[in-house]
Amino acid sequence: MFGQPDLLVGLRDVPAGHEQEMRSPRHARPVDFLTVESLSLSGRIRLMPRFPKPWSKKRGKRILGNALAGEAGELAFYASLFLVGVFGFSLVLINEVAPESVSQVPTDALSTGLGAWIFGILSLAAVITGGVTLLYRLARIGASSERRSAIAKMAGTLEVMAPSKEDSQFLPNVPKGSAITESPGERLKYRLATEKANSGIAGSATLALLWSSAWLVLLAVVVSGFWNGRPRWYLAGLLVPFAMISVWSFRFFLTQFRQFAGVGPTIVEIGNHPLVPGGPCELFISQSGRFKLKRISVVLTCEEETFYRQGTDVRVDRHEAIRQVIVKERNVAVDPQAPWEQQLNIDLPDNVMHSFVGTHNAIRWKVVVSGESQPWPSFCRSFPVVVHPPASS
Amino acid sequence: MAIVLPKFSRRRASPGLVVETQPAVNVTLCHEDGLYCAGGELTARWRISRVPLDEVQGVEISVLWHTEGKGDEDLHVHHFQRLAEQQLRRIGLADEQVVHCVLPKTPLSYHGRLISLQWCVRLRLYLANGRDIVAEQPFHLVSQDMARPHKFTSDRVSIGLTNSN
Repeated sequence: MFGQPDLLVGLRDVPAGHEQEMRSPRHARPVDFLTVESLSLSGRIRLMPRFPKPWSKKRGKRILGNALAGEAGELAFYASLFLVGVFGFSLVLINEVAPESVSQVPTDALSTGLGAWIFGILSLAAVITGGVTLLYRLARIGASSERRSAIAKMAGTLEVMAPSKEDSQFLPNVPKGSAITESPGERLKYRLATEKANSGIAGSATLALLWSSAWLVLLAVVVSGFWNGRPRWYLAGLLVPFAMISVWSFRFFLTQFRQFAGVGPTIVEIGNHPLVPGGPCELFISQSGRFKLKRISVVLTCEEETFYRQGTDVRVDRHEAIRQVIVKERNVAVDPQAPWEQQLNIDLPDNVMHSFVGTHNAIRWKVVVSGESQPWPSFCRSFPVVVHPPASS
Repeated sequence: MAIVLPKFSRRRASPGLVVETQPAVNVTLCHEDGLYCAGGELTARWRISRVPLDEVQGVEISVLWHTEGKGDEDLHVHHFQRLAEQQLRRIGLADEQVVHCVLPKTPLSYHGRLISLQWCVRLRLYLANGRDIVAEQPFHLVSQDMARPHKFTSDRVSIGLTNSN
């Protein structure tokens, strides 16, 4: 049964929770199970003494500086924040409850009610932020990443918190796709929901409305000044640039509205769900509106999506791993009475990855409908679907 | 294969220095090819040697998956076992130990351009001097239909590894 010889596998002397940082793509282990990697270091290593920095910085997969010093620096910072918050909140409380006992302390900031409130809220925020983060950081020290994950898993299996076995334990880290099966279709069984709601018009409409309102208020103030014989020239001067911004925001709204109203709704319906690699799938696509399309295409894509931190920013990167063109047509006329419709059967490729959702990484399958037209702007609408592994369905 | 070695001092070590012996950790899977069907059973044997028992504080054995690639790491432990000092003294380090679990149906192993999802048996050895040593034995979780793992649109290049046998 245990055919392999004794293997000395991947010995690495790594601090707890920092395996990922130590592992670079160049050293990524290939798909080989009989191979052995051993890194056994003997002897004494002499390094130049360095002044310990109380912070560490992540550069891609590398960590600059001492990770332990970075953790100590974070702990010191949050402890200081907590203590400063406690001190500030105590000052506010003493000033409110027994002001005569601190009469010799200059508390100008707390002399007004508003100042005391602001100071108190800031202090309370510092206490909560510092305290909670300090406890969280302390809990992470001394436990390996596997142990933390196991504790989190154990907490998730508590009877009160855990969903039913059918929901979560059936296919871990595969999206359920219940939103898809809850929406019935007209031609086929399910109607797919679009990935992004058409909410862009609401933002531009709000901007145009608010800016125009502000300009009108300014205009009223200027006119009333002239009316009363006390003209405010500097406000009158502001009317011109404000009017220009107002015109720009209105034109922006009109562009968005044209895009919204000109390109009609796209309907995608599906015969069976979830999909399975190598399995058949019946699809119905309908594009409404009143315009001529230079080209329209429907593709099935599998996209890798990954989130990573770069400095203080969280960035997202996507890569289309699979692209299967379902329909591609040119010079299509779409009319309200005769929308462009297609009903077809497709087969999913064999040996492909199922849908997967992690905390920072995901693999998403979707049907993408895109079109180019004149004078309307181009459009691209995505309809997520869920693909299960073959044997599970 | 690229191996990064630490920078040693130019000074020669004096003959009086005692060369430290590193502990050895062996992890062996029950399938030679390392392919496991989703929902199947996994049995792994492990053994720690070249370290006295009183220098070992604890051992953690986990069956887990983790991601590699451009994004931040996702890690999920499927099976976890922690042996404290007293338990280790009771069972000793001489004999091979066994870890057994039923694997889940997902997520399957995957190698893509931005994301790689890898399953492994990971053993973490805690020493009395505060250090810990990690040993990993990767394996592939595949669906029953698949004889080989998913591999498409990947620009990764296989790297040859040295065999210590």
